[in-house]
Amino acid sequence: MPGNEELAFLSAAEQGRLLRDRKLSPVELLRACLERIDRYDGILRAYITVCAEQALAQARQAEREIATGNYRGPLHGIPFGVKDQLCTQGIRTTLGSRITADYVPDHDATVIERLRAAGAILIGKENLHEFGKGGTNVFPYGQPRNPWNPAHHPAGSSSGSGIAPASGFSSGSLGEDTGGSVRSPAAANGIVGLRPTFGRVSRYGGVMHGWTADTLGPLTRTVEDNTLFLQAIAGHDARDPLSSTRLVPDYAAALRPDLRGLTLAVVREMTWPDGVHSEVRSAMEAALDVLRKLGATVKEVSLKLAKHSVPLQLLTSDSDIAAMMLKRWLRTRWNDFDVGTRTRLAAGCLIPATVYHRAMRARALVRREILDTLAGCDALLCPANLNPPGRIEAAREQVDTPEDMDKKVLLRRISTYPFSMANIPAIALPMGYTKNELPVSLQVAAKPFDEATVFRVAHAYERATPWHRRHPDLARILHKAAA
Amino acid sequence: MKLTRDQVKVLAAAVDLEIPEQDLDNVTIRVSALLSAMENIEAELGEAMNSVEPLPPVFPREDF
Repeated sequence: MPGNEELAFLSAAEQGRLLRDRKLSPVELLRACLERIDRYDGILRAYITVCAEQALAQARQAEREIATGNYRGPLHGIPFGVKDQLCTQGIRTTLGSRITADYVPDHDATVIERLRAAGAILIGKENLHEFGKGGTNVFPYGQPRNPWNPAHHPAGSSSGSGIAPASGFSSGSLGEDTGGSVRSPAAANGIVGLRPTFGRVSRYGGVMHGWTADTLGPLTRTVEDNTLFLQAIAGHDARDPLSSTRLVPDYAAALRPDLRGLTLAVVREMTWPDGVHSEVRSAMEAALDVLRKLGATVKEVSLKLAKHSVPLQLLTSDSDIAAMMLKRWLRTRWNDFDVGTRTRLAAGCLIPATVYHRAMRARALVRREILDTLAGCDALLCPANLNPPGRIEAAREQVDTPEDMDKKVLLRRISTYPFSMANIPAIALPMGYTKNELPVSLQVAAKPFDEATVFRVAHAYERATPWHRRHPDLARILHKAAA
Repeated sequence: MKLTRDQVKVLAAAVDLEIPEQDLDNVTIRVSALLSAMENIEAELGEAMNSVEPLPPVFPREDF
C-alpha cells in the first residue's frame, strides 16, 4: 500500500481501482487528504470550508457499501472539492464574498447531486475570486497561493479548485468557467481542467449569472480522471433550460495512445502573439513535435477575430452579471465588494443596451469563424496561458491607467476567451515547467459536444510526456518559502 | 471613446448607482476601454454584424 503522500497523488482512477478491490479504504484516502489540508492549507488557502465530519461519515458509508458488494463505480469513495460558487445543502456557500458570508443554500447543485450519487465524497468548498469574477485584489477568505511557489498566484477564478488536486488535498474539483476560470487555474497549478461545451453540464445550483457563457467543469490530475468526473456530471437536467438532451458518450472509450488520422491546427494569434513568454513558446514547440510523433498532422490556422473576444465577453457577460449584482447589492453594499469586483461590475452596469446588442452580433461572428475553422480540422491548439503564473502582487488587476486596462485586463485573457465565445469544449493540461519550476500548459479545443476528441488528444499527449507525474513537494517548497 | 468622469457619473446616475470618488477614475478607464474596443470592432465588422442575428451562442438544439 502506498504511503500517505504517494496515496494523495495517485490519480483518481488509480485510487478508485484500489477502493474497488478493497485494497484501500475510503476513510484512509479521505484522512490522507485531510491531513495534507491540515498541514499545508493554512498557507495555500485552497479551502474556505472543510467538511471533515460530514465527509468522514460519507467515507464510512462508502466503506460499508463497497464491503457489502454495493460498489457504485469509479468515483465511489473518491474525495472531491467544489468552487464555493456551487450551492451545497446545509453548507455555507460564500461565493468568495463578505456580502454572502452567511448564505446557506437549501439545495445541492445538480453536479454535486450527481457526484454524490456516483459515491464521491464532498471534502470542502474551495476559494475563489469574489463571485467567480476575475480580478479580486484582496481575498476575504485568505490569499490563495500557488503550490509550486507560494509567492506566485494560482490563477482564477476557480483558484482553490486548481490548488486542491495539485496539492493532494482532493482527487478532483469542480470549477466554473465563463472566460477561462477552470482552464487558467488548471494551467497555473500544473493539472488538467476542462471547459465543457455549453449545455453539456447542468448549471443548476451555480450562482453565476453569465447566462450565455457559464459552464461547470472538472479539474483533475490526469485526463482519464477528467473523463470520469465529466461522465458523472454530464447530461440533460430539466432544471437548466439550456442543458442539452444529447446523449452522453463513453468518454473513457475515446482514450487511445496515438493520434493517427487526426489533423490538429495551431491558432497563430493565440499561440505566438507579442508577449508570449519564451519558455511557453519553446514548450509549445516541443509539444507540437510530440503530437506529430503520435501520428497527428499539425498545421497552422489564423483566427483573425479572436482578438475581439475579450472585450466582447466583458461587454456582454459582464453586463449580464452586473445587471443582477446592481439590483441586489452594488447600490447598497459598494464598500463590501473588493475594489476589483465592484469597479468591473460598475463598468458592466454602464454599457448601453445598444452597444450590448451590437456586441452580441459580433460574438456570433467570432463564433462562426471558429466553427468554420473547426470544419477543416479535428482540434485547435494553443497554450492555455501565455505566461507562467506571476508573483501575486504583480498579477493584481489594479487599473490606474488605460495601459493597465490593456495589459492587466484585456491582453492576458486572449488565450482562453475565444473558445469561451464559441462555447466549445477546451481542455488545459500540463505542457512542462519553467526553469523556476512553474507550470506551463497546453490547450486543446474541438467542435461543440466533441469532448471525446479533446480527451483523446490530451490523453495521448499526456501519456507521451512526463509532466503529469510531477507534483509539488510541499514540505520542501513551503519550508523554503518560509525561510 | 474616451469618457470623462462627469459623463460616467451621469451614466451611473441613470441606473441609480453612485460611484464613490475614489473609484471613479478606475470605472471611467474601464468603460472607456470597452467602448473604444467596440468602436474598433464596429469599424472592422460593422457591415457583417448587420447580417447576423444577435443570438446568444448556446447550443441545445444545434447540429454539427
